[in-house]
Amino acid sequence: MKLVTYIESVHEFNEFLSHKDESLSYEIILGCSELSRYSKSSLDEMLNLINKASKNNVPAILEWDVLNQEEKFLKTVEIFDRLPLHDFKAVRVQDPGAVQYIKTKYPWLKIQLILENGNHNLEGLKKWSDYLGEQCERLVLSNELSKDMLKAYAKEIKTPIEILTFGRILLFYSARMLLSPLEKEQVQNSFIEANGTSEESPHSGFPIIENRHGTFMFNVKDLYLLDVFNELSEMGINHARIDLRFDDNFKNYLKNIVNLLSGKIQESDLSIKKNHLRPLIRGFYNINKSDVLFTKLKNKRTQRQDNNYIGEVVDVERDLQLALIIKSEGTTEITGRTLKMITPEGKEKVVTPSWMKTSLGESVVKTQKDEIVLIPYISGVTVKTQVYLNPNT
Amino acid sequence: MSHWIPELLSPAGSLEKLKVSVLYGANAVYLGGQKFGLRQASDNFTYEELAEGVEFAHSLGTLVYVVLNSFLHDKDLEELPEFLHLLEELKVDAVIVSDLGVIATVKKHSKLVVHLSTQASCLNVESAKLWQKMGAQRIVLGREVTIKEAAKIKKATGLEIEMFVHGSMCMAFSGNCVISNYTQGRDSNRGGCAHSCRFEYSIDFNNASVENKKAYFMSSKDLEGIRMLPEFIEAGIDSLKIEGRNKSHHYAGTISKVYSDALRFYKTHGHFLSNDMLLWEEELNKVSHRDYTTGSLDDYAGEDSIYNQREHDDNEFVVSGIVLESVVGQHLLVDVKSAFCPGETLEVMPFKGATSKLHVNFLKSISGADVLKSKPGSVVKIPYVQGAEKFNIIRKAVNS
Repeated sequence: MKLVTYIESVHEFNEFLSHKDESLSYEIILGCSELSRYSKSSLDEMLNLINKASKNNVPAILEWDVLNQEEKFLKTVEIFDRLPLHDFKAVRVQDPGAVQYIKTKYPWLKIQLILENGNHNLEGLKKWSDYLGEQCERLVLSNELSKDMLKAYAKEIKTPIEILTFGRILLFYSARMLLSPLEKEQVQNSFIEANGTSEESPHSGFPIIENRHGTFMFNVKDLYLLDVFNELSEMGINHARIDLRFDDNFKNYLKNIVNLLSGKIQESDLSIKKNHLRPLIRGFYNINKSDVLFTKLKNKRTQRQDNNYIGEVVDVERDLQLALIIKSEGTTEITGRTLKMITPEGKEKVVTPSWMKTSLGESVVKTQKDEIVLIPYISGVTVKTQVYLNPNT
Repeated sequence: MSHWIPELLSPAGSLEKLKVSVLYGANAVYLGGQKFGLRQASDNFTYEELAEGVEFAHSLGTLVYVVLNSFLHDKDLEELPEFLHLLEELKVDAVIVSDLGVIATVKKHSKLVVHLSTQASCLNVESAKLWQKMGAQRIVLGREVTIKEAAKIKKATGLEIEMFVHGSMCMAFSGNCVISNYTQGRDSNRGGCAHSCRFEYSIDFNNASVENKKAYFMSSKDLEGIRMLPEFIEAGIDSLKIEGRNKSHHYAGTISKVYSDALRFYKTHGHFLSNDMLLWEEELNKVSHRDYTTGSLDDYAGEDSIYNQREHDDNEFVVSGIVLESVVGQHLLVDVKSAFCPGETLEVMPFKGATSKLHVNFLKSISGADVLKSKPGSVVKIPYVQGAEKFNIIRKAVNS
C-alpha cells in the first residue's frame, strides 16, 4: 500500500521525514494557494518544498484541483507554465480543462485524474483512462463508491486507483464568497473558517472554509477507512490518501498511520478513533443506497402505463358524473365498453358506462383525444384516477 | 429584414407543461423520462407521454431534448440502452448528458445527438475541447461562466453553446454538491437533491471577536437575463435555457412567453428598445421567484447574488387554472389550480399578445350547479372570453 498525503510546510515535511518508514512507499502532494482548493502555501513555499522533496528523493505530486472559469483559467495556466514541472512526479487535476491543457501541452507529464465528483460507473472510468492512455498515472475515485464497486473497478481497470481513507469529506464547492459578506464589518480575511448548523438538518457543525477560490463545506463526520486497509489491498487498491490538512495533530496521526501501514501496530491499537475531534464514518463504503428513497418521491399509480390507456379523471360530481380528459390517440368509444380505473390509492374499479356526454350535456358515442367527456358517477373514483379499456373484454 | 435570434429552451416537467411551454413560444423543450434525470420528484414522462410530447412538439416545429444527466451507477447504465432505442424511435432531437460513461453508452448504442449538461461544470475553452472530443455537439455551460467567456469558448471550439437565461441557481458548481447524499441519504446527483442550500444556518466563526450570525448564506437569488439578451445575441449564444422542470404551469407559460416575445421583437427590429421591456420585466415578477440577479452573466456573481432569506411566497399573481375546453360564446372549462369565487376578476394569458380580463360572472360545476368557490383539483365552467384557447393560463392578482 502506498501512502499518499499532503504536506503544507517545511515543519510538516521534516515531521514526515522523521516518521517515514523505508518499508513503505510514499508520495506527497504539494499545493499552493493559486492552484489548490485549500492550500495556504504561497508559490515560494511550495517551490521550497519541491526542492526539499527532490533532495530527499521523496516523490511529490503537484495539486491543481481548482475549477476555473475561462478568465481565471488563463491566469492559472500562466502560473502553471512557470513551475518546474519536471521536478514533480505527476500533477493531479479535476477540471477537464486542466486535463486537456496538460494532455496537449505537456504530453510527457503524468496525470493523476481526480474523479471524485460522480464517475460512478466502469464505462466512464475506462473511457477516462483510455483517453489519457499512458499519461494517466492514477484515477482518484469517489468516496461514494461502495466496496463492491471498488473491487469490480480495481479488477477491470489497468490504471492504479486511489481513494481517500482518512480525512474530511467535501460536500459543497461554490465559486462564490459566502462567508465574508457575513463578517465583513468585523474581520477582513482571505481565509475564513467557520462552522455552520441548521435546525432543518439532522446534523450540526459543518466545517466551512472561504478562500480566494470560493466556499467549501465539509461533512460533520470525517471519513475513516483505516480499519479496512487489508481489505483494500486485497481488492487491488494500493494508494491510500490521508488528508491531515485540517488537523493540528498531524505529527501523531502520521506516526500512527505509518506504523499501521508498515505492520508495526494493529488498527485496534490506533488512538485516532478515540481521540479524533469529529465523529468518524465509513460513508458509503459498505453500501450505497442513496437512490432507494426515490420511489417514495411520487405516486406511480397516477402515471399512465399501457396501450389500453384512455385518459384521466379530472372532475368528480358525487352521485352525478365523472369528467374524463381523453388522452388516447384516434377515436374512442366508451359507452357500453368495460373500463378499468386505477385510483391514486391503487384501488381498481371495473365498470361499463351506460352513457357519455359532452360538457354541454349532449350525448355522444365517440370521442377524440384532448376532449372532455362525462360518464356516470362511480363510487370511490377520485380525480387523477387513470382510465384504461379493460383488455379482458 | 429578419435578425438572428437564439433558440429559447423551456422546461417540460410533465406532458401538460410541455404543451404549455411549446404553445407559449419555446423553440425547444427539455424533459426527463422516469429514470436517468435529476428531478426524481417531478412527474416526468412515461414512454407513452414521451411519444405524445414529441409528436406534439414536433408538429409545431419545437425540438425535444431528453435529460440523461444523472451521475449514473453501473446498474443504471445497464438499463440505458433500451431507453436510448426508444428515444431514437421517437426521433428526439438530442440527449443532455453529464457523465462520461453515459456519453460512451449513448455513442455505443445510438446515433443520438449529445449535449453536455451544465452538471458537468464545463467552464473554459480547454474543457469544452475535451468534451467535444468525447462527442458533445453542444455544451450547456456552468452558470459561473460570463457571456464574454462563453463567446470565447464558442469561437475557440465552434461548438453550439447553451446558457441559462432564467430560473433558480445552484450555489455550488453543478455536480459538486453532495450535501443531500451525506445528510439525507439521497443522491443529489441522481435526482434526490433536498435543497439543503436553502436552509438557514447559524454560522460560528470560531473567533471570540466575530459575532455568530444566522443566515441563508448558501441560498442563491434567481437568475433573470432579460436585460442581457443583447449580450447573448452579440456573443452568438445558440440556446437560452429556462430552468424549472419542477415549477408550475404558470411559470413555464409566463417565462416562455416573455422571453419569446422579447426575442421575436428583436427578430423583427434588430434591437430591444421596446416600451414592452418594462412590461416583460413586470410579467417576470408575476411568477413565483426569489429576488432576481444577473448571476455571472455580466461578471462573476458577487455578494448581491446571495438571497439570504427564508423561502416564501409573495407572488403578485397565482395561477387559477388551465383552460381545458373553450366553447365559443358559451363557456370555458377550467382545470382549477387555486380557488376563486364568482364576482372576481381573473386574467387570461393568450399564447401571444396582451392578457385579457375575465370577470367571473358565473361559476358552475360541469353539470351546471352553482359553485360558491372553486376547488383545486376540480373542473368548473366560467364565462367565455374572446380568443381564449385550450391550454391558456388563467391567473389572479393576489391582492385583487
